[in-house]
Amino acid sequence: MKKRTLTFYTVTLLLLGVTFLISLMIGKYPVTPAMLFRDENAMAVRVFWTLRLPRVLMAFVAGFALSFAGSIYQTLFRNPLAAPDIIGVSSGASAGAAVGILFMGGSMWAVMGSSFLGGFLAVLLALGLTRIAAGRQIATFVLAGVAINAISQAILMLLKLSADPEKQLASIEYWTMGSFASITDTKLLTILPFAAVAVLGLVLLRRQISLLAMDSEYVTMLGVPVASMRRLILLLATLLVASVVCVTGLIYFIGLIAPHLARLMLKSNRFSTMLYSGLLGSLILLVADCVARGFTIGEVPVSVVTSLIGAPFLIYLICRKEKIA
Amino acid sequence: MKKMSKLLSLLLAFSMCLSLAACGSGTDTTTTAPDTTPAAETATTEAETEADTTEAEGQYPVTLTDHAGRSVTIEAQPEKIVSGYYISSTLLISLGLEDKMIGIETNAKSRSIYALAAPQLLELPGVGTAKEFDIEGCAALNPDLVIVPLKAKDAAATLEELGITVLVINPENDQLLAETIAMIGTAAGVTDEFTALQAYIDDKNTELAALVQELDKPTIYLGGNSAFLSTSGAQMYQNTLIENAGGTNAAAELTDTYWAEVSYEQLLAWNPEYIILAPAAEYTIESVLSDPKLADLTAIQEGKVYQMPNTLESWDSPIPASILGSLWLASVLHGDVYGQETFEADVTRFYQSFYDVTVDPAQLQ
Repeated sequence: MKKRTLTFYTVTLLLLGVTFLISLMIGKYPVTPAMLFRDENAMAVRVFWTLRLPRVLMAFVAGFALSFAGSIYQTLFRNPLAAPDIIGVSSGASAGAAVGILFMGGSMWAVMGSSFLGGFLAVLLALGLTRIAAGRQIATFVLAGVAINAISQAILMLLKLSADPEKQLASIEYWTMGSFASITDTKLLTILPFAAVAVLGLVLLRRQISLLAMDSEYVTMLGVPVASMRRLILLLATLLVASVVCVTGLIYFIGLIAPHLARLMLKSNRFSTMLYSGLLGSLILLVADCVARGFTIGEVPVSVVTSLIGAPFLIYLICRKEKIA
Repeated sequence: MKKMSKLLSLLLAFSMCLSLAACGSGTDTTTTAPDTTPAAETATTEAETEADTTEAEGQYPVTLTDHAGRSVTIEAQPEKIVSGYYISSTLLISLGLEDKMIGIETNAKSRSIYALAAPQLLELPGVGTAKEFDIEGCAALNPDLVIVPLKAKDAAATLEELGITVLVINPENDQLLAETIAMIGTAAGVTDEFTALQAYIDDKNTELAALVQELDKPTIYLGGNSAFLSTSGAQMYQNTLIENAGGTNAAAELTDTYWAEVSYEQLLAWNPEYIILAPAAEYTIESVLSDPKLADLTAIQEGKVYQMPNTLESWDSPIPASILGSLWLASVLHGDVYGQETFEADVTRFYQSFYDVTVDPAQLQ
């Protein structure tokens, strides 16, 4: 590992640790470390284990998952704007959540399961489309994603139209804003295995991911089955995103900004940079969640915070690109 | 290489199976927790039996079945109550329990009845809305009993996990409202108060039914809160209100469970005898009367356009005072048998006895 990479890793991990500990102390219910080790405050202990810790861990996992997956999408598609949204995961998950809210009683498990399947199904469809398409260019993947995205959006709109405006429509809208407010230990433990399987798979495929960033003709010469490998990696990245999004709702921009920041800071795009972007994502999301719940009277959806950071950054990025050109 | 991708595909397939399994169990959870009537009916019967057996107030523990079908045991008379829904908040006031409330739904300031009947409620910490219930903030208040609407049933489950007693209510119609009154009244140990409130509602309903039984039932178009061209169909609470008051809902053919959009053409075809504007309507009687597209309607030509008063509460929603909505409409439709003065006396008596508020009849004009 280069010295520059090592320094950034150390600093980020330290910051992450500190933010994590501070996050654990922020919230409406007063919880101090001392309370956790004394028996007199049973409620504080329960609040800590069922709400506080799961929420902070979820923000950590979500930040890592979305940013890590985002940097893999960007590498695979060789497109700086590729994010989970572009191949339809997010809109598929939204449509799935809407189905859960409208037709499955809107219980926590129905919405979670149905949005997970929705997100996954959208990507499977997009991948299926590229299989039957004549040219198997990268652009075909992106175009198929855009098409599926549009279809999911249309379905979502139809579902919204038939929803009861006061209850169901509000639930759908609120879901698409993304929030960690309803995370509990049960939800976290349910999705953790899926996310872990996906991360493990992607780590095992790290060499292939780096190879796919190169020209596909050259990679084919090396004996790599480009198309199927790309599909497998995409599915794993999607599994990661869907497992997070199905409990948090949509969290905008984090999957876009963290990978760019990581590349700007480490000045490279190796696998270690992708992992680093995951850590950066966790850090940003932890801070955003602290802002969302700690500094306002009510609670702001975390997407509002990430978008407010993300959009100006995107503009900056565009301006910078122009200058180089 | 091939081996590895095979392994990964297996992993992937395995995780997808897991997800399907998780989904399956999810559906089970939904079916075991029915939202509506059957469980709710048990709630009343249980609540009523409890009420019968507990002559003296405060025979605890009490076990109730709430509107989410959950069985809830209340160990001792609750002294600190959090209400996350305006209907339960007004109900608590009408049962004389406002001093036991330590937390209230966000946006409490928008309800004028709180300021009149229990201004101290406006100072209480907000615990969020059904969409965004503040679980930690609620737990921090250390309540003995939390009441939330059915929409917040997930939050209820989490609060229960924390060891907090929660009742889920869903007062969507007269029957469910009666169950809610019994449920909360029993839980709080105020048997006399809730029986008196329910008896008043029942008596007035019977009285009204007898009054309008033999009369003609004029057709009514109810203009919705957000727009004049939105109205309530047969499934909505407003339909019951119209029927109780001795009217016929012009839009009864609509099956929507929420305010439905209608067209001018549709309205002209219905040609209602009366036009009633919802209490919180964002447009005025004048704007309806002066709309050239409506000029041919009988109701417009005869000037029979009225708006339900909104000075105290919106009587068109299932709240304890909703009986007054039926009474008001009866006074408009059948003024000869139930006049404005009788109505004003009824309103004054209701708010005096249940909210300890003196109403100025001039406010109801």
